[in-house]
Amino acid sequence: MIILGVDGLDPDLLAKYMAEGKMPNFSRLAAQGSFEKLTTSIPPQSPVAWSNLITGMDAGGHGIFDFIHRDPKTFQLYFSTSRVEPPKHNFHLGNWVVPLGSGTAEQLRHGKAFWEILDDHHVPNSVYRIPANFPPITAKGKTLSGMGTPDLRGTYGTFTFYTDDPAAAVGAVEGGEILQVEVKNNRVASNLVGPDNSFRKNSPPATEPFTVDVDPLEAVARISFQDQQFVLKEGEWSGWVPVEFQLMPVIGNVKGICRFYLKQAHPRFQLYVSPINIDPENPALPISTPSNYSRDLAKQIGEYHTQGIAEDTKALTAGVLDDKEYLEQAHTVLAEHRRAFDVEFPKFHDGLFFFYFSSLDLNAHMLWRLTDPQHPAYDPALAAQYGNALEEFYQQIDQVLGETLPRVDENTTLLVLSDHGFAPYRHSFNLNTWLLNNGYITRKGGAPGDPNEPFADVDWSRSRAYGLGLNGLYLNVRGRERDGIVDPNQSDALLREIRQKLLEVRDPKDQSQVITRIDFATEVYQGPYAHSGPEALVGYNRGYRAGWKTILGAFTPEVLEDNTNAWSGDHCMDFTKVPGVILSNRKLAAKSPALTDIAPTILSQFGIAKTKDMRGQSVFESQ
Amino acid sequence: MSLGTFAGLWTSPLAIVVALSVVIGLLMVVLFGYTSDQKAIGVAKDRLKAHLLAVRLYRDQIPVVMGSYGKILRGTGVYLKLAFKPLLYVIIPITLLMVQIDRYLGSTPIALNSPFLFSVHLAQPSGPSSAESGLNDVSIEVPPEISTTAPPVHSVTQNDVVWRLVGSKDGQYRVKVNAGGSSVDKQVCIGSGLPRISTIRFRGHFWDRLFSSAEPPLPENSVIDSIAINYPDRSIEMFGYGMNWIWLFFILSMIAGFIFKELLGIQI
Repeated sequence: MIILGVDGLDPDLLAKYMAEGKMPNFSRLAAQGSFEKLTTSIPPQSPVAWSNLITGMDAGGHGIFDFIHRDPKTFQLYFSTSRVEPPKHNFHLGNWVVPLGSGTAEQLRHGKAFWEILDDHHVPNSVYRIPANFPPITAKGKTLSGMGTPDLRGTYGTFTFYTDDPAAAVGAVEGGEILQVEVKNNRVASNLVGPDNSFRKNSPPATEPFTVDVDPLEAVARISFQDQQFVLKEGEWSGWVPVEFQLMPVIGNVKGICRFYLKQAHPRFQLYVSPINIDPENPALPISTPSNYSRDLAKQIGEYHTQGIAEDTKALTAGVLDDKEYLEQAHTVLAEHRRAFDVEFPKFHDGLFFFYFSSLDLNAHMLWRLTDPQHPAYDPALAAQYGNALEEFYQQIDQVLGETLPRVDENTTLLVLSDHGFAPYRHSFNLNTWLLNNGYITRKGGAPGDPNEPFADVDWSRSRAYGLGLNGLYLNVRGRERDGIVDPNQSDALLREIRQKLLEVRDPKDQSQVITRIDFATEVYQGPYAHSGPEALVGYNRGYRAGWKTILGAFTPEVLEDNTNAWSGDHCMDFTKVPGVILSNRKLAAKSPALTDIAPTILSQFGIAKTKDMRGQSVFESQ
Repeated sequence: MSLGTFAGLWTSPLAIVVALSVVIGLLMVVLFGYTSDQKAIGVAKDRLKAHLLAVRLYRDQIPVVMGSYGKILRGTGVYLKLAFKPLLYVIIPITLLMVQIDRYLGSTPIALNSPFLFSVHLAQPSGPSSAESGLNDVSIEVPPEISTTAPPVHSVTQNDVVWRLVGSKDGQYRVKVNAGGSSVDKQVCIGSGLPRISTIRFRGHFWDRLFSSAEPPLPENSVIDSIAINYPDRSIEMFGYGMNWIWLFFILSMIAGFIFKELLGIQI
């Protein structure tokens, strides 16, 4: 069995490109077997959706409700799929902190993954880059962790931008950091910023110095770093550069890899350094099974992005990279994935081969505005230049399918599927501002609190509900939240009241309905974690999504705002409006296949019964 | 095994290091045996063993233990003194031999179509700008198999000029450097295999040249202090771990030495 998991492959776009003859291999597969929409998860977010696929359960079973979860007692936010913890016990020696024991990386997804069950039944399998599998669970086959894998700093990706432009907005930006440097005698001396050094008191970030010699006349520079030197012309990317951060002499070094991009040499110096990825040849955290597999792969295809979300969307959003530069980086990511596929697919002979591609998802997020004249961020000049870029990524996936199809014989089942589709994200709805305006949240008087702290100035003794994450609506429940006030017996009535009001919200510009459905966790989730997440899932209409600030518990002046951000397409909406796709070389029997059907389908292909926790059934059996 | 495969073994860096380690391990032991006072070393080692035994046997008698520790220290000094002279005989030729072997095994040639840096470092800066320092007067001439892929970077603070080059055909070439009205050249190895590689060419710097360069010195009147190429370090893989040949040689020659000392009955 072969599964190509293509994140964000949209049924409407795919059908359009197929009709235009641009996806001949998808057309061939659809004609031979089936092409259907695939019901996505609630909410339709990748970590949730892929966890549905992996376990055959919904969020109530696997416990992943969003990219971001919160601790109800402290309101600390954390990544939903994994947690990296430093050692629990240390002793201090001056400015040094000596750990007694090792730190841990813990996967937070619950439930048994389909490949664990295949392992139990001795079915060989390989699972490449599937999301929500960091750190990778113990497996007999080859697995490589995908979305959810952090960079070396423990974030979803933090770039650094060095400039001598006095007008630059220096400091932290979302997903990155802009640093001011001085060009003195045509030389820049600065530091690469690495992970927090837990061996030092107060854990300051580890740094490693580097210098850049800029030619006085030509747009070219030499970068010297540790024992390496390379020359970049303006507008050129380096290859992967190994980086070693010394946390403690002799015993505490961590290795990473990063890429440099000399954006400008003159008149202003501008240098972009990618997030520092975990080095696949010397991984500081577990990223593969067996543990040396990431290294073996690197030996075959060269160094590669290990960070889960490899496309640097944040650098484009921050204006550090422009569309051309972002596309160069995004093409590098897909080229790496294709090299890995080209190396691994020929080794597949028996059992299950699963391979994941991220490119369509991330690039639909970033490039949608170039295909949508109604989008507030639409730019006709850029659209003329890069309007076909998304289509080209689709065509590359068609080429991958073209390489796959000749290996599919009568004994092989092929599935090509996506976790969700796509829609425009033209307007932001700020749920917390709406809750504030409607009396469900009350803020403390006086000066506003720290804007970087979620809900910093909220008076919880007078607040009944809050929004968190891309679709989550939580109640401030007594006994669960630190200062909860909502009686659990009253929560259903309160939820229904809020739902009714939210469904009535209209966009004043054209009276469009902003929110088209709200699902209650009690109605859509089953399993032991059904009550661990939000009480309700807000389903936005096509064109609308939760605003960036509201998802982290901040407040904006307006409830509705135009989205002028480069991140212009999305899927964190009403799940019925963004279905995924499923194509197979065999005819599907299921009338409305869903992501939760995939794990049972895989098991049934190998004659293994689904587990009692799985909600779906094989797509080749009529439902 | 065919003759071709057998011959191929001798172009394998790992096979070469293994063979060298065995041969040099044997030579070191034999040389040590001939140049050392075997009888005195045997006596020194026996005494050390006796004092170590005393520490174990009389551990409840502190004065005896302390006395034994003192004798162990003294005995170790005697043993080191006895071993020093033969070690001198061994170390000097071995070091010089290793320097020569490192020319072949320390670095790999530049891979085809891979960029590399060609750095020309001037002897004395003569002004604060690149024009005044003479950096702008430095130029290179490359053979047709090598091309530049970026303009040169002139650095006044480093007093050097760096070119990014790429080679399109296997072979050993010479890149000509013009500076201060005269010309010199530098060897460049492109491709694969085990050519004799010189990572740097110096003017003067006798000791640096002895240990790092495999080319004749630059003329004394040249304005160039050195010309360097950033050849990649060669990593030799054994049991899944890659390492520099010297570490591998050190481990294997020690093992070989211990085996041969037993076989030949030589005291070390």
